[in-house]
Amino acid sequence: MSESLPKAADVVVVGGGVVGAAVARQMAKDGLKTVLLEAKAFGGAVSGASLACLGTHMHNIEELPILIEACALWQSLSEELGNSFEYNRSGQLRFILKPEDVAIAERWITGERAAGLAPELLSPKQAQEIEPLLTGPIHAATWAPDSATVNPFLAVRALLADGKRAGVMAFAETPVERLLLDGERVTGVKTSRSDISAGHIVLAAGPWSAKVARSIGLTLPIVARQAQCLASVRQPPSIRRVIGACESAGGVESGYTQIQQAASGQILFNTVMAPQGTPTGAEDRINEVPRRFVRDSIAMLTTLFPSLANILMLRSWVRFEGVTPDDRFMAGHLQDGLLIAAGDNGTGFTRALFLAQLISRAARAATDPRDGFYNPLRFAGGKP
Amino acid sequence: MNAQLLTCDVLVVGAGPAGLAAAAAARESGADVICIDLFARAGGQYTMQPAAPDSPFHAAPQVAQGREAIAHCQALGVRMLLEAEIFWAEPGFIIFAHQKGDAITVRAKTVVAATGGMERPIPFEGWTLPGVISAGAAQRLVKANGTRPGENIVLAGTGPFLFAVADTFAKAEIPLRAYVERQRAGLGTVDLFISHPSRLGEALGLLRSLRATGAHRYTGHGIIAALGQERVEAVRIAPLGQDGLPDRSRAFTIDNVDCLCVGHGFQPVIDFTSLLKAAHRHDDALGGWYCVTDPRTQATDVAGLFAAGETAGIGGFRPARLSGRLAGLHAAQAAGRVLPHYGIDKLHREMIQARAFAARLAQLFPFPAHIADALPDHELVCRCEDVSRAQIKAAIADGARDAFSVKMWTRAGMGPCQGRVCGSGLAHLVASELGKPAAEAGYNRPHMPLRPVPLAAAEAALALADLPHGVET
Ligand SMILES: Cc1cc2nc3c(=O)[nH]c(=O)nc-3n(C[C@H](O)[C@H](O)[C@H](O)COP(=O)(O)OP(=O)(O)OC[C@H]3O[C@@H](n4cnc5c(N)ncnc54)[C@H](O)[C@@H]3O)c2cc1C
Ligand SMILES: Cc1cc2nc3c(=O)[nH]c(=O)nc-3n(C[C@H](O)[C@H](O)[C@H](O)COP(=O)(O)OP(=O)(O)OC[C@H]3O[C@@H](n4cnc5c(N)ncnc54)[C@H](O)[C@@H]3O)c2cc1C
Repeated sequence: MSESLPKAADVVVVGGGVVGAAVARQMAKDGLKTVLLEAKAFGGAVSGASLACLGTHMHNIEELPILIEACALWQSLSEELGNSFEYNRSGQLRFILKPEDVAIAERWITGERAAGLAPELLSPKQAQEIEPLLTGPIHAATWAPDSATVNPFLAVRALLADGKRAGVMAFAETPVERLLLDGERVTGVKTSRSDISAGHIVLAAGPWSAKVARSIGLTLPIVARQAQCLASVRQPPSIRRVIGACESAGGVESGYTQIQQAASGQILFNTVMAPQGTPTGAEDRINEVPRRFVRDSIAMLTTLFPSLANILMLRSWVRFEGVTPDDRFMAGHLQDGLLIAAGDNGTGFTRALFLAQLISRAARAATDPRDGFYNPLRFAGGKP
Repeated sequence: MNAQLLTCDVLVVGAGPAGLAAAAAARESGADVICIDLFARAGGQYTMQPAAPDSPFHAAPQVAQGREAIAHCQALGVRMLLEAEIFWAEPGFIIFAHQKGDAITVRAKTVVAATGGMERPIPFEGWTLPGVISAGAAQRLVKANGTRPGENIVLAGTGPFLFAVADTFAKAEIPLRAYVERQRAGLGTVDLFISHPSRLGEALGLLRSLRATGAHRYTGHGIIAALGQERVEAVRIAPLGQDGLPDRSRAFTIDNVDCLCVGHGFQPVIDFTSLLKAAHRHDDALGGWYCVTDPRTQATDVAGLFAAGETAGIGGFRPARLSGRLAGLHAAQAAGRVLPHYGIDKLHREMIQARAFAARLAQLFPFPAHIADALPDHELVCRCEDVSRAQIKAAIADGARDAFSVKMWTRAGMGPCQGRVCGSGLAHLVASELGKPAAEAGYNRPHMPLRPVPLAAAEAALALADLPHGVET
């Protein structure tokens, strides 16, 4: 059962993760004939491995106006679609283990409050009121009430279904093999099945975007970075909030933690204390979680939540995020006929709906002052 | 909690006929051997050891064979780790396990995977009702625990294993209401025993046992449904039509049933060999996906990893024992011991013969994957996560094009069994819905942990691997 591909469209979106699904849906809603091509399974790459927390806390002060809108878009989408993807405004708690990190937390809180948000600094006791089983030896915590989570699988499914209602033609198991050029202009794609010509091609292929761009000799500064997670067997309600590590002196290098309980009851947890390099091509292989990662993740979960020390671990998975040199998405025009929305840097769920609007604006030559933040030509002196 | 780091030359995974034969052979070659098994008693499925000292099964020849193999291993000094579950393995080899909450890590030079077979369940209407159990589980209940699974029992499905289960019931003097087998005994059977006359006595013995259970025999019949409110109360069956599905126009009901035991054959347990990235292939006659081995040495394509018994393709007791011995000898050799000069050729020849018989027998009882096509929409496919066929169809309507997507969108296969039970049925339904071949889709890739593991034990076992070499705790 392979429906044949159309020969032409206004837009071809390459990649069916959360970003591609959101972009395709937006394009169709804005009246463009849109084709979405996914190499394997919709949402099967990093989008289906995600903890999918949507928030503004401890991302980037400069980006806050965008993040606030990005989060609001998710909330209204959940209302519009009858919360078909388990949107849950749980709030987020970031624990602080070392006294010297309190100053960092305070800087974030000041910056976010100035943007109209309401994060707070909590004592261990206050943190426990919000998260009763968090009885481990924390020094303090921050609290961001605006964070929410969604079910990553159902979010992609809902975006896809809503996009199809708006006219998106979506095809799984249809990799784009190369871009097609007419002089300097990108005019279409060659897929595993047939060619499609289009006015706009949007690269939303996560870390694979660089490979697709290379087919026309374009070098993108996006590399793959390994990310992974562990899940327990289903537990009674135990963890109510998204639990993260506060940014620490030394930045991401000094450790990263995210813990939450999914609607399924599974506890999802990951802690990276010793980031390892990602070998080239790893994103195209089947990978196992590193032993050190498993140890660190268990140790952190059970230190914070001692009562969970004997729960059963059920599953692990490894996926790949696309990373740019300045940890910011590349979104907008790359070249005549070619747009990009990739380089998620590990928090692409949050921004997906905002980027979808940005890309649709760019394709329709509409502008918004905020869009320059993700200008894909910011590297290499503005040239592709 | 205790944590132990052990080292050995040869680690044998599984203590069934193949594993015990491998462990003994490796030990006889002078290797230092550890044998690890999930169950509390060694013996595996075929030579399963009863728990109760007064069980009538102690006198059965299979049980005696198992008892001797276990005693032989003990006399040789094989270290047995029972009730120990492996949750991860790394090449080279480090094997991580937990035993009743304690952590065990084993460093081994070579490994023999003799992980056996497991049932190949197919969903049918009513298959999740209490009282419906697998034929293998029924056998374990009766043989190992001395428990009677019901008062009015129907045994149904297909394959020679059903005979073996009937034999178990006969030995325990538990009567059967009915015996429902898809195949009719035909010329193929006669042919098989003409070319393998030595096996005829055994087959006739099994037939006698079946008669002794008093079961009404329905051959050429298949199950339509298990019926009941709270639990199974009746079983609906019908003669098979041209398409191999029960002909509903001729269906009838066997009433007053409180236990339905169902078996449609076995599949190799390949999670351990998959985790170590050995090559696997699909062959329905070998039970689906199996680990590829060199038939002479039982070596897989991963250096130092050998596979024996059902892991290398379903074949039953004889090939298991012979391939186990071959694997044990070659694993010991790969760990630096000397291979005996004689006996290998003969073992190899016997193994090929035993496999040939098993393969022909398997052809007489093909795996009826397609009976899942008759599953009603409301019926569950994944019982861990309560996913019905209708939900699977809805996911496909939303754009899922493979079992992987259906899993993401419905959670089918994301429960405690991680698709071990529903995986093949799910793959078949998705493939037939989409008009694709099912075989490839049915491969359920394992990831850490192979089975659910307590966090504390996992942490402790992984920590042991960071100790320097030469340490044994
Ligand atoms: C809340 C939550 C709970 C989860 N619970 C479970 C669970 O209990 N059980 C479970 O199995 N999974 C669970 N996961 C899902 C997990 O993220 C994986 O999707 C899942 O494990 C299946 O992938 P895999 O790692 O087994 O695939 P692999 O065996 O790793 O094989 C797939 C390979 O293809 C690659 N690939 C790249 N792009 C794609 C694409 N678009 N589509 C498909 N493959 C792609 C993958 O990176 C990978 O290398 C959970 C995820 C979340 C967020
Ligand atoms: C453990 C974990 C936790 C996370 N937690 C969060 C979080 O809390 N909040 C948050 O915002 N983000 C989080 N993320 C990150 C987030 O999941 C990603 O940023 C986001 O999913 C990126 O989406 P994407 O669509 O860009 O990428 P992908 O999902 O990787 O999609 C790219 C798609 O392109 C397809 N593709 C590749 N090549 C081709 C081709 N040639 N032709 C067609 N298709 C192709 C791929 O198969 C893939 O499906 C987390 C990630 C992980 C792993």
